[in-house]
Amino acid sequence: MKTLYSLATLVVPLFVFFGCSSKSDESSKEQDAELQVKVESLKAEVEDYYRTKVALPIEVQDQLENGEVTQEEIDQRTAAGEFPKFFQFKNLENLPTGLAWEDGSDLPEIGSPKATKGGTSYGTIQDFPRTLRTIGPDSNGSFRTLLLDDVAVLIAHRHPNIDEIGPNGFRYIAGLAKEWAIDKASQTVYIRIDPKARWSDGEPITSDDFLFKFFFMHSSYIKAPWYNNFYNRFFSGITKYDDLTFSVKLSVDKPNFATYVLEDIPIPEHFYGELGDDFPERYQWRFAPTTGAYALKDEDIRKGESLTFTRLEDWWAKDKRNFRYRYNYDKRHIRVVRDVAKSFEMFKKGELDAASLTLAEYWYDKLPNNDPLVEKGLVSKAIFYNQRPRPPYAMWINRDKPLLNDRNIRLGIQYASNWQLVIDKYFRGDYQRLNHTAIGYGPFTHPGIKAREFSVDKALEHFAKAGFKERGPDGILVNDAGAKLSVSLTTGYTTLKDALTIIKEEAAKAGLEFRLQIMDNTAGFKLAMEKQHEIHFMAWGYGAEMYPRYWETFHSVNAYNPDGSIKTQTNNLNSMNISELDDLIDAYRASTDSSEMIKMAHNMEEIIHNDASVVPAFQIPFYRIGYWRWRQYPDDFNLMISESSSEFALSWMDVEEKRRTLRALRSDETFEKSIKVYDQYKN
Amino acid sequence: MRLNPLTAKKLNRFRHIKRGYYSFLAILFLTVLSAFAEMLINSRALVVHYEGEYYFPTYGEFVPGDTFGLGYSYETNYRDLSERFKTEDSGNWLLMPLVPYDPFENNEYGGIFKPTPPSFSDRHLLGTDTTGRDIVARLFYGLRIALLFSMAFLVLTYVIGIAIGCLMGYFGGLVDLVGQRLIEIWSNMPFLYVVIIVFSVVPSTLSNVSRILILLTIMVAFSWMGMTYYMRTGAYKEKARDYVAAVEALGGGPVRIIFRHIIPNTLATIVTFMPFTIVGAITAVTALDYLGFGLPPPTPSLGELLKQGTDNLTTAPWIVASSFFALVFLLTLVAFVGEAIREAFDPKKFTVYQ
Repeated sequence: MKTLYSLATLVVPLFVFFGCSSKSDESSKEQDAELQVKVESLKAEVEDYYRTKVALPIEVQDQLENGEVTQEEIDQRTAAGEFPKFFQFKNLENLPTGLAWEDGSDLPEIGSPKATKGGTSYGTIQDFPRTLRTIGPDSNGSFRTLLLDDVAVLIAHRHPNIDEIGPNGFRYIAGLAKEWAIDKASQTVYIRIDPKARWSDGEPITSDDFLFKFFFMHSSYIKAPWYNNFYNRFFSGITKYDDLTFSVKLSVDKPNFATYVLEDIPIPEHFYGELGDDFPERYQWRFAPTTGAYALKDEDIRKGESLTFTRLEDWWAKDKRNFRYRYNYDKRHIRVVRDVAKSFEMFKKGELDAASLTLAEYWYDKLPNNDPLVEKGLVSKAIFYNQRPRPPYAMWINRDKPLLNDRNIRLGIQYASNWQLVIDKYFRGDYQRLNHTAIGYGPFTHPGIKAREFSVDKALEHFAKAGFKERGPDGILVNDAGAKLSVSLTTGYTTLKDALTIIKEEAAKAGLEFRLQIMDNTAGFKLAMEKQHEIHFMAWGYGAEMYPRYWETFHSVNAYNPDGSIKTQTNNLNSMNISELDDLIDAYRASTDSSEMIKMAHNMEEIIHNDASVVPAFQIPFYRIGYWRWRQYPDDFNLMISESSSEFALSWMDVEEKRRTLRALRSDETFEKSIKVYDQYKN
Repeated sequence: MRLNPLTAKKLNRFRHIKRGYYSFLAILFLTVLSAFAEMLINSRALVVHYEGEYYFPTYGEFVPGDTFGLGYSYETNYRDLSERFKTEDSGNWLLMPLVPYDPFENNEYGGIFKPTPPSFSDRHLLGTDTTGRDIVARLFYGLRIALLFSMAFLVLTYVIGIAIGCLMGYFGGLVDLVGQRLIEIWSNMPFLYVVIIVFSVVPSTLSNVSRILILLTIMVAFSWMGMTYYMRTGAYKEKARDYVAAVEALGGGPVRIIFRHIIPNTLATIVTFMPFTIVGAITAVTALDYLGFGLPPPTPSLGELLKQGTDNLTTAPWIVASSFFALVFLLTLVAFVGEAIREAFDPKKFTVYQ
């Protein structure tokens, strides 16, 4: 009986297996056919789009968004030929003559000639990525940096060590482009693609991939409204001259307009043949071909555990200037470790190559200068002072909430927030007080504004003006109606919980109660995006741009909907709604002149300071890391605008040294102790 | 109050189980002590004698620094005041509690907020945590909150669990059948996820007390089911007894029968489970705090301290040591009491089968 039973169990799954496979054979054929239809129809759609898409001037786009003109009117005007075609196809003969082609080869090369290729680098991430897409829902996580931001080769890159501003903005070095030319008069950038440029799957990169990029970014399939808007608003056309030559015209005339074109990447047309409404699901776990040095193979994705990137053996840019000494590891292994404390212990055991020591407790206590690993010279410590727009760690006060709509309360909160104490005694004086939210933009940064100091008297004075005169039994101010001066202070930064508890205790001295809520990153950000916060503590990550942005964070269109309701999912965390500021922001966005923009930026900064709805907290002028001695960095360590030690992929590994170091870990062998300060870019 | 002789006998037995009994006394002592925590561990002075007047700031309103000529309107720093009185030597004096720190204030250590090792001279008996808060204070107040929280949890879960369990057992039939299925479905809701989800939508504008109450409500809402099973079988069993039939014959209604007759007879079951429910509640709230979904910061809590401890295992081992031993100590005491109660209330002790 038992044998019979076991036989039966053996037979049943087999049967099911065969049944399934024959069925799936049929259905896969069906699917193939379906897919073929889909691919063909997409091709037709793209061609049709290339033929019909017109570029609307910004004013017309605004009118359309505000409902001043209807889509039908636009269609009629388009049919009448009022607007130019977005996609244009010409020949090389049509290419304007007299263009000044440049390729940045006069600028110093980046990377160290000492670098050698090989080895595996070990790192961690806190969460397994929710998708391998770099666009669409859930794609904007920290993993995108590894897929795109730190890895992809752009048309051209801003030279990371030079911050001089020329007639066309920052200085650039060639990436995908062999050379480019900027025509300021027509706001057009002409590009010749490096003929060697290849996608990671071997396909050549051509002008068509750039044309397709606009179809892709305009399409509703990608479920990314910000990109839809951006690529419609700022670009007014692309012209193909041949497979390797094209030009892009911008609809805005800004001092740095070329950046929009140069710091961009194409989209592989051959890969997105199945683009459709199911794009987020269909491409969820497919690694898109990249222009960069590292690719991800399916077998190297271990869901929930780890991902391993492999360097392309025959990478197209491996001998290219500015790229040849970078991207040195053969493999980059990324493991999911949710607990920061745990990953630090892994680092100390040698399982990870480097660890961030930017937080004071890590630099001074967890890996002190007299730690045996440092004493024996096995682990090196380094501080690198960088120069770039600073992420503004600040308390963003929601002016839409009761109490906080009163400027006096906001001023009181400014004086009641003792960030200087946190900086001096918790961050041990290493960080700096942030004075306003646009630090690190050279002349655009307002030099005079200072954050308000901690002052119980001044805070009490302002709270009293708002009606909070008496202290209750617990020392917190109450008004005549008996209401307590109590507001919530939320954040998604669990690592900065301690700093906020200090702020809370200090504020109590000024009769202000902060109700703390420390959430995980995602929940905290969601709360702020839904504008449910009263005061939210966070920083924005800013790119190394030429001038600060104000529209996203301070324009009233990002605070309220036309019907007066709160607008969610925007960066205006203050619900800032000041018409004078709005006018300036509009003028600033439209301005083409740097000196005028600088004046306006300063003016806006003063208005924001005056309004007192942002409590600037601190800025970090450096990053600090600890790394095992087998990891090597260039002599000057890193580049001026780098945000982390890995951003420009300059480090490499001494494979022999790793063996030696691991041996020394078990023996008494010691090396020279190494604690280095790189302050060449310290201001 | 006259005890049922059987109950008296059980209590007597309990008293003779030394380990459990002394554990019980220890918990009782801790509970009573924690009621007076403010007098033992506090940054406010017990007595201040200033310019011929006496102040007792421990309870009640805060006393601003201006009162003692310190020149600020917020709460007096009594430790500083004490130093000042000593140096001035003008007949003013004050008496600080045993541990002169409260669980919220951040204390510097060499000008920096960081963990301090235990020290008698600073009177940080167990050291300080990552922002320089006294660990004794945080442990003790944390313990008090955990105890209060678990008592409230116990009462609420038992009221609901016993009522519903008895109803199902007493009425039986369809009530029992439907009730059981509903409970089975409800039991399968993942508690932790619900806490996480609910806390992500709870507006941060709520006060800490209401957020603690919400946590309590969620925990109760997902924990009362266990008790229903026991009470249901208990009620089934008792319902079939003759004395229930007698009450019915005398005209007693279901409410009277359940609350006056069935529940007192199932008391042994209830009492036996109590200590273990307390252990469960303390563990659950500690675990939630550890994960960051429990009591809102900066509420002192064992779980939060434990989390800090594991994060600073190598640099500040005293944090994890004190929170770990405190937790083990408390849970062991409660478990000893539970064991003793179970033994004392064991019905088999009174029946001899041959």
